[in-house]
Amino acid sequence: MTTTASELAPARVRLTLSWDRLLQWGVFLLTGLLVLFPVWPILYQSVLDRPLYDPDRSFTLANFSRVLSDPVFWQVTGRTMLFSGLTTLLALAVGTLMAVLIVRTDMPGRGLFSSLIAIPYFVSPLVLAFGWTVVFGPQGVLTVLARSRLGLDWNLYSMGGMIVVAALYYMPFTFLACVASLRLADPQIEHAARIAGCGPVRTLVSITLPLLRPAIIYSALLIFVSSIELLSIPLVLGTPARISLLATYVYQLGVAGITIDYGALAVVAIVLVLLITGLVLLQGRLVGLERRFVTVGAKAVRPQRLRLGVLRWPLAALVGMITILGIIAPLLGIFVQASTALLSPFINPLSVLTLKNFAIVFEQPAYRESIVNSLLVATLGGAVGIFFMALVALTTYRSDFRWRDGLRFLALYPRAFPALIMGIGFLWTYLLIPGIGGVRNTLIAITIAFIVTSLPMGFGTVSPSVLQISPELDRAARVAGSSWFGTLRHILLPMLRPALLSGYVLLFITFLKEYSVALFLFAPGSRVIGTTMIELWRQGNPGPVSALAAVQIVVIAVVVVISRRFFGVKLHE
Amino acid sequence: MSNLVIQHLTRAFGAARAVDDLSLTVPSGKFISLLGPSGCGKSTTLNCIAGLEHPDCGRIQVGDFVMVDTARNLVLAPEHRGLGMVFQTYALWPHMTVHDNLAFVLKLRKVTGAEAERRISAILELVGLGEFAKRYPFQLSGGQQQRVALARAVVTEPRLLLLDEPLSNLDAKVRQQARTWIRAMQQRVGITTIYVTHDQAEALAMSDMIAVMANGRLHQYATPAEIYEYPATRFVAEFIGATSFLEGRLVERQGEWVRVWVPEIGELKLRADRQPGGKVREWAHDRPVTVAIRSERVQVVRGDGPCDNTFEAPVTGSAYEGARWIHHVKTPAGTLHLETLDAAPAGKLRLYLPPEALFLAPEC
Repeated sequence: MTTTASELAPARVRLTLSWDRLLQWGVFLLTGLLVLFPVWPILYQSVLDRPLYDPDRSFTLANFSRVLSDPVFWQVTGRTMLFSGLTTLLALAVGTLMAVLIVRTDMPGRGLFSSLIAIPYFVSPLVLAFGWTVVFGPQGVLTVLARSRLGLDWNLYSMGGMIVVAALYYMPFTFLACVASLRLADPQIEHAARIAGCGPVRTLVSITLPLLRPAIIYSALLIFVSSIELLSIPLVLGTPARISLLATYVYQLGVAGITIDYGALAVVAIVLVLLITGLVLLQGRLVGLERRFVTVGAKAVRPQRLRLGVLRWPLAALVGMITILGIIAPLLGIFVQASTALLSPFINPLSVLTLKNFAIVFEQPAYRESIVNSLLVATLGGAVGIFFMALVALTTYRSDFRWRDGLRFLALYPRAFPALIMGIGFLWTYLLIPGIGGVRNTLIAITIAFIVTSLPMGFGTVSPSVLQISPELDRAARVAGSSWFGTLRHILLPMLRPALLSGYVLLFITFLKEYSVALFLFAPGSRVIGTTMIELWRQGNPGPVSALAAVQIVVIAVVVVISRRFFGVKLHE
Repeated sequence: MSNLVIQHLTRAFGAARAVDDLSLTVPSGKFISLLGPSGCGKSTTLNCIAGLEHPDCGRIQVGDFVMVDTARNLVLAPEHRGLGMVFQTYALWPHMTVHDNLAFVLKLRKVTGAEAERRISAILELVGLGEFAKRYPFQLSGGQQQRVALARAVVTEPRLLLLDEPLSNLDAKVRQQARTWIRAMQQRVGITTIYVTHDQAEALAMSDMIAVMANGRLHQYATPAEIYEYPATRFVAEFIGATSFLEGRLVERQGEWVRVWVPEIGELKLRADRQPGGKVREWAHDRPVTVAIRSERVQVVRGDGPCDNTFEAPVTGSAYEGARWIHHVKTPAGTLHLETLDAAPAGKLRLYLPPEALFLAPEC
């Protein structure tokens, strides 16, 4: 027993110790570098009078005064707040209603609806926006039909249209959060109310709904923040009507405009980041305060479902209409438009079937390249990304590294960065740092930006699983003689396999959908599906746009179905 | 021999000292328990020995192998201490079979191949789980998991075996068996063992020595019998066993006997040699003192019996515990607890407090 004593001399100890430390420092520094990359050129540019690569640049504060005294800027900001606020309210109302109807009542078709409602969660908002224009746009199938047959008319290219589409896109966030909360809530709390003499409807209103408050508040801030930075829907539905929101304003300043105003772009970016930072901090505070509503109890007791009585079928019809018109029809429209020469309610689509659009997308090198690139970024970038995020989460929660709290902050920090601004920041970084210019126009540049943008999401997906593993399991390995890295390799990473697989699928889908980070970064050779869709849309080619969207939808659907069926992957709570 | 020596161990969390200047020597091959209520610092002490916690101050060594010496700024990482540990939740790695759990720890100590297989089958045979090598932890009962955890902790022949409340997740029946079984195993392997528990019955039944801790401090370190019969501090007297305390005043000391006046009960005679530190010799007449007695030593007198140290009092409450009854008797000097085999008769009881069972409670 004492023979091992001499083998373990302190000198060797220090050496092995430093390997673990080295790795932890590496993770910390890499995260810090990646996260701070896009920040500094924006700060720098905001106080320069010329583009930051211009040798004649000099310091100035004029950018701030120019932007902040511009009435258009304030008008756009106000309009964005209105858009985001109304979108949030509508999404919350629809999402909560759906969740309560599906989880807590005997409405017919609950199972089917619960999987249909979650669809927008997996679809790019860009695709949903295109789908809506196909079906409900000024020349959309249903618009034309309603105009000619029913005398009804509407204008999708308006604030109202944008809000409805955005609300439908964000509704699943509320829906999924509420469903999770309803399923977790202790049914005995409802039973207690019933026994105390509370009727079923009253129990729903005064017990069940208040218990949903944390889920609702959490998703409200998430939706509000996301809709401020949302580009696709304002771009596709707002641009034709010249309705500008902050995201499209930035896009106009930095990409689509004739001359690029670098200084103004930086100032608007800073304003956006500050605004979102404030909201994210508020979210953290509110969610913390709402802990008192969280009840987790025995799951053995099945809660009684509320009987809807005569309202059963009317409510089912309402939910069905929202799902079919809002989600199914637009996605179906994309497929029909992609595979027909001309889409009109008066022409039988079967008579104009064509593969022309798909041929364009697959045969023209520029378009085919974007599909291949998207798949590459999603497959390889997703794998690198999830591995990196797991290392960050493990260093944060499973090491005695000194700066682990700082690391957690760094990992969550990109949340305050709209994807579009992240793209600008990375572009300028690549422009400024000598020696890495070669990376700028490659897929690697885009992959790095994608990983950093989704770092908070990936970190948030892996962390709960890390925290669920009893610390005694790694302590047992350490006492048995394993180093920190050995513990990661042999105990923690193998145990995290299911969580890493879910995280990988989630990153795959996110990377495949992503378009706004890439808008500033893409170049010939590094196009992705999203950027090509926007390019084609700006050229007025709805057919190939739909074909690309259809490709994206099919790939995502296949990945979701396979990962769920064969690997038991869970993609939301 | 390789004794475990702990000197001046201190671990503070902010202003609170979880372990406060603890010094302890565990002779080689002995089984000692760290006993105390939750938050007393026993687990922190164990984690400092294991290397899972960094002490602020102190020195820990086994034989001449120094694991911690804060004076020399030396704190070995847990993996370099060569210890075995059983955790409260067993901490079996769920993605590895029983065999792989053991093989992994052997591999970490550079034991592989035939030698590893030999050791694994020997230790599994020893814990009676020879046929379970291919099973995964979730396929085992709690008691079996606990035995695998123990096998995993000793298969590498570690310097020390650390046990962190390994029985607290077992049900009462299995726990009884596991107690004797762990003790037998420890004696067969002859390994120095530190056992952390808050269960005094476990500690008393299994240990060679017990270290009673409270608020980070070591209150008494002695054999189970000494701890029970001669508690060194008031805390130990209260914590170990079911003890009643009666407030009284010192009357006089006569040779081997001390007399104490307790209101409503009268004069009680105690043996002087059971007083801690022999300080009673210096105590003044009429000094307030506390008399203590274990509840199982209080006797109920039926019919004739001794006259000294007896008094009558009404029973204020009773509880049936299966093997016995517990009664509470309220007196102005304090509440007295006692045990009987039958239900107590209604009304007053005549109680006898044997002089050899009474002791003066330590004052601090």
